[in-house]
Amino acid sequence: MLLVGAVLVNNFVLNRFLGCCPFLGVSKKMDTALGMSGAVVFVMTIAAAVTWCIDHWLLAPRGLGYIHTLAFILVIASLVQFIDIAMKRFLPPLHAALGIFLPLITTNCAVLGAAEINCKQGSSFGEAVFFSFAAAIGFGFALVLFSGIREKLEHADPPRCFRGIALALVTGGLLSLAFMGFSGLVKLPY
Amino acid sequence: MKTVKSPFKFKGGVHPDYNKELAREQPIEKLPMPGELVISMSQHLGAPAKCLVKAGDFVKRGQVIGEKNGFISVCVRSSADGKVVAVEKRLGPAGGKADAVILDTAAKPEGDEGNGLPILPPLDWKTASREDLLKRVEEAGICGMGGAGFPTNVKLNPPPGKRCEYLILNGAECEPYLTADYRLMLERAPRIRLGVEIMRKILGGPAVRIAIEANKPEAIAAMEKAFADIDGNVEIVVLPVLYPQGSEKHQIFATVGRVVPEPPALPIDVGCVVENVGTVAAIADAVELGEPLLERVTTVSGDAVSQPKNILAPCGTKYADLIAFCGGEKGPVAKLISGGTMMGFAVSTAEISTTKTTSGLLLLSPKRVVQYASQACINCGRCVRACPMNLNAAEIAKAVEADDIKAAEDAHVMTCIECGACSFSCPAYRPITQFCRRAKNSIRARIAAEKAKAAAAAKK
Amino acid sequence: MTIAIVCIAGIGLVAAITLAIADKYLSVKEDPRIGMVTAALPGANCGGCGFPGCDGYARALVAGTAPNGACAAGGDAVAAEVAKILGVAATATEKRVALVKCCGTRSEAIRVGDYNGICDCNVAAMTAGGDKGCTYGCLGYGACANVCPKGAISIHDGLAKVDKRLCIGCGKCVAICPKKLIELVPASATIHVLCNNPDKGPTVRKVCGVGCMGCHLCEKNSGGKEAGHFTFQGFLAKVNYDNPPTDGQIVAKCPAKCMAEDAHFESGH
Repeated sequence: MLLVGAVLVNNFVLNRFLGCCPFLGVSKKMDTALGMSGAVVFVMTIAAAVTWCIDHWLLAPRGLGYIHTLAFILVIASLVQFIDIAMKRFLPPLHAALGIFLPLITTNCAVLGAAEINCKQGSSFGEAVFFSFAAAIGFGFALVLFSGIREKLEHADPPRCFRGIALALVTGGLLSLAFMGFSGLVKLPY
Repeated sequence: MKTVKSPFKFKGGVHPDYNKELAREQPIEKLPMPGELVISMSQHLGAPAKCLVKAGDFVKRGQVIGEKNGFISVCVRSSADGKVVAVEKRLGPAGGKADAVILDTAAKPEGDEGNGLPILPPLDWKTASREDLLKRVEEAGICGMGGAGFPTNVKLNPPPGKRCEYLILNGAECEPYLTADYRLMLERAPRIRLGVEIMRKILGGPAVRIAIEANKPEAIAAMEKAFADIDGNVEIVVLPVLYPQGSEKHQIFATVGRVVPEPPALPIDVGCVVENVGTVAAIADAVELGEPLLERVTTVSGDAVSQPKNILAPCGTKYADLIAFCGGEKGPVAKLISGGTMMGFAVSTAEISTTKTTSGLLLLSPKRVVQYASQACINCGRCVRACPMNLNAAEIAKAVEADDIKAAEDAHVMTCIECGACSFSCPAYRPITQFCRRAKNSIRARIAAEKAKAAAAAKK
Repeated sequence: MTIAIVCIAGIGLVAAITLAIADKYLSVKEDPRIGMVTAALPGANCGGCGFPGCDGYARALVAGTAPNGACAAGGDAVAAEVAKILGVAATATEKRVALVKCCGTRSEAIRVGDYNGICDCNVAAMTAGGDKGCTYGCLGYGACANVCPKGAISIHDGLAKVDKRLCIGCGKCVAICPKKLIELVPASATIHVLCNNPDKGPTVRKVCGVGCMGCHLCEKNSGGKEAGHFTFQGFLAKVNYDNPPTDGQIVAKCPAKCMAEDAHFESGH
């Protein structure tokens, strides 16, 4: 239920509008989209785990709940940097293809958003990690879907004012509308 | 020998207006020798022949004036007695320039009467060896007369390890307006039969399938009569009337149901050899009469020519001479096409001459040639439905228009046979076939450049 | 309050240590010169050097597999800077610009047919060799204009023209022209023969009013054969750019009006 909810009903990028930057930036080609999705899944899951631990064991018992945003940013930023170094070493082609969008996951509100939502919901460790994983899957799903559409749009011949990002934004909006059709699929309390 | 209906039908294809009634009933007429012939060194697929004569030389009919240049090449023989006026580059029907021998057929050397003997010694195919027969096909300069011009001696000599199981005769003639092969089958069926016997010997006894479209019942009857008492596994297969039924790969599928894989695979990889009926008749003449390939039947048709005819003309005849023989133009000519309307080449001048592969010459009036401005693709899918090679023509066209040749290559544009069915069916008048040709040319150029680079690097 | 600061600081410290370890054991050592060379290159990513973009050329330069000076867009200035970074001697290359060797506009050169199809020179050349009477001449459908990364080529009256000021000499137009009539010439040369047709005079005259007839007057007026300012291919005069003519008067004396001085290059905009 969590999975369906996170992927379809409350899709992070199409319904919650978190993580729009890489969504539009990396979705030009299917290969980079897939690579980015993989990276986000990895980052989001681990970030959720670590941030949950920090929040649950370090901050909440001391009543430092108000500082968790700052702490999360720290953790996420260093995690992404770690991924950057690791990817450059083990997957250089993907690293070259993603370019600047990899560190962009740092400022990606989707990752922070997942961590924050876990906090707000007060979920258990397992729930938190699984929810983040599902959210990342949803993000990847939307990204790959969008990249497929954009690859076809590359060959289209729209009016000059619509070319490039303009048409992509309009299409993204339409895709978002389409995903709203999933609401009511699963009744969630949040 | 029996006649059967084609058991397989390929997907796609279109039904253009055939307009064959203009020239159907015209028996083959021999063109009186024109005053000047322009014999090109590139009448076939492969490297052009190397010219052996120069200005001022006297040549005899059948003399070799261009020698074979490489493995995929064919020799060129003079189509008439005469004097070489010049050897220069002339425009061909496809737009390329090649060396051509300009021959003045009126000039003959003193005291030369011509001895009336055959040019090459006649062979008895029953006793001649396979190698001798193949050599004769090569010496006669025979290439595929259906349009592609592939050297026949190479086609009839499969590489070791590949065996020919089916010899398929291409009598489909699916191009609109053209009736040359139809008249050939009607009038010279016994020659075609002899050619089949010879080719069967060369290929080691394959089964024979004679493919004829259903809109030629008289030709089917004539071929049935000629092949009635032939031994062995021979069948006449009646094909549905569909363009491009005459395409090699589609012939194979329609007659024996085998699919030729993507290039570089060839029909011989599925055990088939396809030859045009004209080529088969030429083989018979070369072996039995010692007559090399010097002339061919060309249909001159269209609604802007006074008298459509099927003309037996020597190779190198200028189009202008053919048109004059047909009574000249009838009204304004909007388009002059070498070949048929689907895959033929529009030419800008009647000074171009015929080659071994010129099956037709069409003169079309402005009424038949309407130009429309092409528009954006509406994704209707008619081209996808029409494509006989199961390609997504719309996707390829859009990719090439956006200069994305890589996407076109991924969509298998190299399998395209440039039949024109997609352009024909497009309601937005998009030149899809041209897009495909552009992509194919671009890819071929890139592969050639890569090969050259690799060769240069290997040398270092 | 202090607890909060300590917590954050603690998290930061742990993160920093992890990253330091990762950097030590996992990072890929890249030659810092690659970054410096990439910064020195023009960044046009035109591919004129033959490498995939400026970054590709930088890597090849540092690896020693590419010659310095292949960047036509950057020219001498960039070559010198790259040489400084890599510690090698700089080679001087003269700036070259593209020249379309044809002046047969639609008004001057006849067209033998009505071409109806894709507006691209390579495709038009595939159709009966192109719709121009002169089979060596510019078809004017803009393949070169489309491929120019700087927009230096424009089509006027069915003829392509290069704006010398915008041209970076990358050579893409040279490669794409189906008639092979664009040539990279030294930017300093001012006198040019704008024709590509080597046929005899009367043959050329039949198809173009401004085609070179091979009369050799340009050669005679610039000091004759010994001066060596021109070479001839068939009946076509060609400027010898290693020893170009300097007297602008020979342009006016050309009877076919197929020569031009630099003024020809200025684009309309």
